Amino acid sequence: MSQGTIAPPQAEAQSQPPGRGLRTKRQSAAGRRKLHQREVRGAWTLLSPYMVLLLIGGIIPIFYAVYTALQRPATPVQPEGGFGGISSFVTVFSDFRFWQTFGNIFSVLIVWLPIMMLGIVGLALLVHASPGRFGNTMRFLYYIPGALAGIANLVLWVYLLNPAQSPIAGLWNVMGLDTIKAVVATDGNLPFILAGMLFFQGIGTWIVVVNGGLNGIPDEVLEAASIDGANAWHTAWHVKLPIIRPWIGYAALMNLAYGFQLFLEPQLLDQVSSNALPDQTTPTQLGYAFAFSNYNFPAAAAMSLILLVITLGIGLLIVFRSGLFGEEEK
Amino acid sequence: MSLVKAKPQKRAKTAHQEALAGPVGSNQMSVGRVARVATMLFVAAIFIVPIIGFVAMAFRDQDEVAAGEGGILGLGGVSWDNVVYSWSQVNGFGPGEGGLFLQWVGNSLFVAVIGAILAVVAAIPAGYALARLRFRFRRTVLFVTLLAMVMPNTVLVIPLFLEVNAIGASGELWPVAVIMGFFPFGVYLAYIHFMTTMPQELVEAARIDGLSEIGIFFQVATPISKQAVALVTFFAFVANWTNYFLPLALLSSVQGNKTISIGLQELIGASPLFNPTVAAGLNVKLYMPQLALATFLSMIPLLIVFIGAQRFLMRGQTVGAVKG
Repeated sequence: MSQGTIAPPQAEAQSQPPGRGLRTKRQSAAGRRKLHQREVRGAWTLLSPYMVLLLIGGIIPIFYAVYTALQRPATPVQPEGGFGGISSFVTVFSDFRFWQTFGNIFSVLIVWLPIMMLGIVGLALLVHASPGRFGNTMRFLYYIPGALAGIANLVLWVYLLNPAQSPIAGLWNVMGLDTIKAVVATDGNLPFILAGMLFFQGIGTWIVVVNGGLNGIPDEVLEAASIDGANAWHTAWHVKLPIIRPWIGYAALMNLAYGFQLFLEPQLLDQVSSNALPDQTTPTQLGYAFAFSNYNFPAAAAMSLILLVITLGIGLLIVFRSGLFGEEEK
Repeated sequence: MSLVKAKPQKRAKTAHQEALAGPVGSNQMSVGRVARVATMLFVAAIFIVPIIGFVAMAFRDQDEVAAGEGGILGLGGVSWDNVVYSWSQVNGFGPGEGGLFLQWVGNSLFVAVIGAILAVVAAIPAGYALARLRFRFRRTVLFVTLLAMVMPNTVLVIPLFLEVNAIGASGELWPVAVIMGFFPFGVYLAYIHFMTTMPQELVEAARIDGLSEIGIFFQVATPISKQAVALVTFFAFVANWTNYFLPLALLSSVQGNKTISIGLQELIGASPLFNPTVAAGLNVKLYMPQLALATFLSMIPLLIVFIGAQRFLMRGQTVGAVKG
């Protein structure tokens, strides 16, 4: 899988599709075929390092996970394991935590996604409406929190969430929360805290992406709108928003897929709040627990495959429906 | 090919922007303009203030932090002596004389650098082949690459662990580096690069000159791929450096082989703030200033590659990219 990177909606050349360039008529059909064979061989030679890595990092683990999921877990009584059919899926689905973890993800998504989308689109429009140095400076400042990825963002939030020394200790005091454990574990707080963390680390780069989409709008279109008497609001609402709809859909789906794999944040918030949170808040944590607490590899593989199917579905939607990836992959 | 067309970023002052500035020809501050600037500054403050406070924390003293001294964001309590002390604590973590922190940083450097090199070596020729050569399954490979690129990288971590465990290599660094070398986003970047900068006619002309397909790649495509190499290196290194779940699953079993991302988690777990029982058995004390310093230090390599790649990032080939 991608090492945590998403593609920008990309500018694309107006160059011709491969192979449709100059071909002299003197070439015979046989000669052309020979040339083409050379081209094919060259292509696969050049692709081979990537193909090897694709096999190691993508294809083989998927097939091996399918194989593992169909095994029986090794137990002290039956250390051999062996074919277990769909029993590992039964184990996963009947685990009391299974639906809970997805419920937890939904409660985070419901809080986070709307704020995230509103923030991305709103701030990208504001930046776009601010040409020159001011807009560029603001875009850069919005990007900075995104540089604190993963664990660094978490430590920053530990600093913010701990009433003992937080710059927003006042807020926690007003809410009657005086320890980080109380802040994190008080009922109903977690979705908002996770939403804040995800918003903080994700917003900046998405502003840049959507801003890139806005910069693709031809000046003539915006000029025409303003000649027709549209003010800034009208232009943003009736002209810019419809044009960047593919980027908005793209951002929404990518963030949705991201939400399903949450792991680090709940795992470490649990650690800093003296295990006051459920040990398995999210599906990925549950899969991790199957593998590393229960040593039930078949169930861990089954859990991974379930998450894989969900994110694969979202991924297919992005590639086919977002309208950003052209026709070549259809 | 119907991807969105590239457009130069230069933006002359257009009618629409003038309209934003109020009636044409006037520089009056309209209500809308004031509201826009105020909103943007407010959001910027929300984003930046915590980071300033956090960086300041790395330069503060725990006693003052606990006593609530140091003024606004603790900026009054910063000093180099505090950093020296905090570093002695961070560096002292580990068995005997400590030194685990630097070892973890070294491990991170190893997997991130090897992973990025593999990503470049695989992505540049693959991107070229996908962009400029005709062969069966070209679209299939492209499609799989796009799909792998848009999916969160964590979903395959447990299957990857099972794979590595099956060959008895869990706990070792090299499988992590190899897996990090699989970087579909890099292939996509290289693909876009050759699509936009290398005309098909150039390939045809080189063929007529009698160059082999591999020869064309090395003598024509590679010399113009500096931009793509820089971008793939940058994005791969950042993704590898910040990767948390993959090293956690593959390296947790061997203390000395952890990367800094999971090492930081261990430092948090050893802090008297969150785990007094564990912390009581240690001869170093990791309070918030020490944790902030460790985090800050762990980001320096990212800062360096960012500065190194900046001029390539600003060239506008990528509209933007997001880590996740």
